[in-house]
Amino acid sequence: MNIKHLLKTILILLCIVAIFAVAMFGLNFLTGPIIEANNKGAEFAPLLAVMPEAENFEEVTSTLAGVPESVIAIYKETSGKGFVVRAKASTQYSKEPMEITFGITADGKICGIQLDVYTDSIDFRSKDANYIDSYLEKDSALADIGTVSGATYSSTAFKGAVSEGFAALITNSLIAEGVKSDAQILGEMIPTLAPGMLKTEEVAVSGNIEKAWKAGNDAGFAYVVKNGEASFLALVNATGACKVYDVAGADVTDAQSAIADEAKAAASASQKSYTEDLNTKITRLYETATDITPVEVSTFNTVVAAASFKVDGADYYGFYSRSIGFHQMDVYFVIDANGAIAKMDAKQFIFDEEYFGNFGGMDVGAYKGGFEGLTTETWSGEQAVIATATMTSNAMKQSTDDAFAAFNAIKGGAQ
Amino acid sequence: MKNFFKNCLLRGTPSMVLALGSGFVMASSADIRAALGMGAAVLISMLLTSIVVSAIHKFIPAYAKLPVYLIIITGFVSIIQMLMQAFFPIVVDMLGAHLAALAVSAVIYRDAEEVADHNGEWHSIKTALSTGLFLTVIMVICALIREILGNATIWGVEIPFLANYKVSALAGAFGAYLVLACVLAAIKKLTGAHEHLEEEDCE
Repeated sequence: MNIKHLLKTILILLCIVAIFAVAMFGLNFLTGPIIEANNKGAEFAPLLAVMPEAENFEEVTSTLAGVPESVIAIYKETSGKGFVVRAKASTQYSKEPMEITFGITADGKICGIQLDVYTDSIDFRSKDANYIDSYLEKDSALADIGTVSGATYSSTAFKGAVSEGFAALITNSLIAEGVKSDAQILGEMIPTLAPGMLKTEEVAVSGNIEKAWKAGNDAGFAYVVKNGEASFLALVNATGACKVYDVAGADVTDAQSAIADEAKAAASASQKSYTEDLNTKITRLYETATDITPVEVSTFNTVVAAASFKVDGADYYGFYSRSIGFHQMDVYFVIDANGAIAKMDAKQFIFDEEYFGNFGGMDVGAYKGGFEGLTTETWSGEQAVIATATMTSNAMKQSTDDAFAAFNAIKGGAQ
Repeated sequence: MKNFFKNCLLRGTPSMVLALGSGFVMASSADIRAALGMGAAVLISMLLTSIVVSAIHKFIPAYAKLPVYLIIITGFVSIIQMLMQAFFPIVVDMLGAHLAALAVSAVIYRDAEEVADHNGEWHSIKTALSTGLFLTVIMVICALIREILGNATIWGVEIPFLANYKVSALAGAFGAYLVLACVLAAIKKLTGAHEHLEEEDCE
């Protein structure tokens, strides 16, 4: 190949490339705006699905302050009809975060809502087909929106994402905040005041009780009780202790003893007792255990039974905690009079091992032994970690924290 | 006339006879809209490529033909893709990367290299048209079978009485192979066994 042929070839290639480049450049003037409009239409399709009467949208996320991480984007309907929020939420069962799109009218009510992405192993839509539609017409108070029985975590996450979307708009004064009823305010206090009541589900009420919830892990009951015009939140734990709070979150147990008595009576009728289970466990762990006596604890955590007992004259306390990991965890602790864990055991540590793709097994004896001797000072949480079993590790950590808290409450009144 | 159609059917179905382009035939035959879109893209790009190649092939040195023809094909495919993105975005979404992959399709290159490079414009146009049209026909036949029986839809619209009887496997890769094999068998039965096809057959 001589230089002349090479140059000719290069020239031909360049000419052809130039011709196509010019053609495509010109064509881009015609198709560019149309393609952009098509892409915009595709982007706005989920927004139109929740606000069909919208004319156009403008993303305003970057112009807003205090937008939570769970809010993916906020779009303003350009003619003033309202806003569309795209939000995400995760649960411990999520492979990927669920994604939600919902429209909020200018007067602050949900006009459309849909679940765009959902990968949780438990689908709350199959357990309550009307749950998502129950959000329609609700304002930011989300009155009467509860959780789905059997899919508590995912429905709670769904509700949380919607609430955070509302909060972003309210914080920026784009919509008015919905007014919550006292019962709703009190109900929302439960996770804070009784963090051990997991997977709460609403149950039937009677008497002065306006609303009632049962902990899915049997850690107790929560009641909204009416007294005259005021409503109060009464919490009763599995050992029978009760506390009453007003809507400001103040402890009014002493002043509202009648409410406490009514709540205790209601709870005792339905509360499953774990005292016998704990006693049996204690006698298995210590064949010489004597004077096993049930103890009421004032903590509202995952401890469902507590007992004091003696072994060879020494004082011990037994605790039965029911936290939730991959499934329900049943964990027992024996703490000596000095506050050190003497023994720890559980009905089962690892559930559905096949779920853990990388789970390499665990030395149960060594794991349990690692807890012995731990006190609140030496317990860091790291001792509960089981490699590649995060959910179980977290549950074990919660149970250990709760057992120490219950012990401290018994010994010193502090929690 | 009978021979013309018989041979064009074979000429127009290179994926059946020469196993060329069977990938995009299968990828495009799950939905009639995708089949028609891909058919139109193949037809137009093949036609334009043939015209250009037959017009300039004398000026292109033999050693430069491969890159030059590929640039021409890629250019036309890109232009067609831009137009389809603007006016048929749904079809582009359905075809995905397969539309862009037409640029390196052996079917179009073969048409440019074997036909347009050795013949005049008129012959090239005829061959490109017949190949493209019959390829489209074959894709639409496959799509009709797969969309109706596999998805219980036609043109994307659900066929209610078939919804409970659809054979989902037909909509997937396995179904694509199965339907293609059946259509291939039918064509072979209709036309007789043809192991080799000469360009003159289509004249």
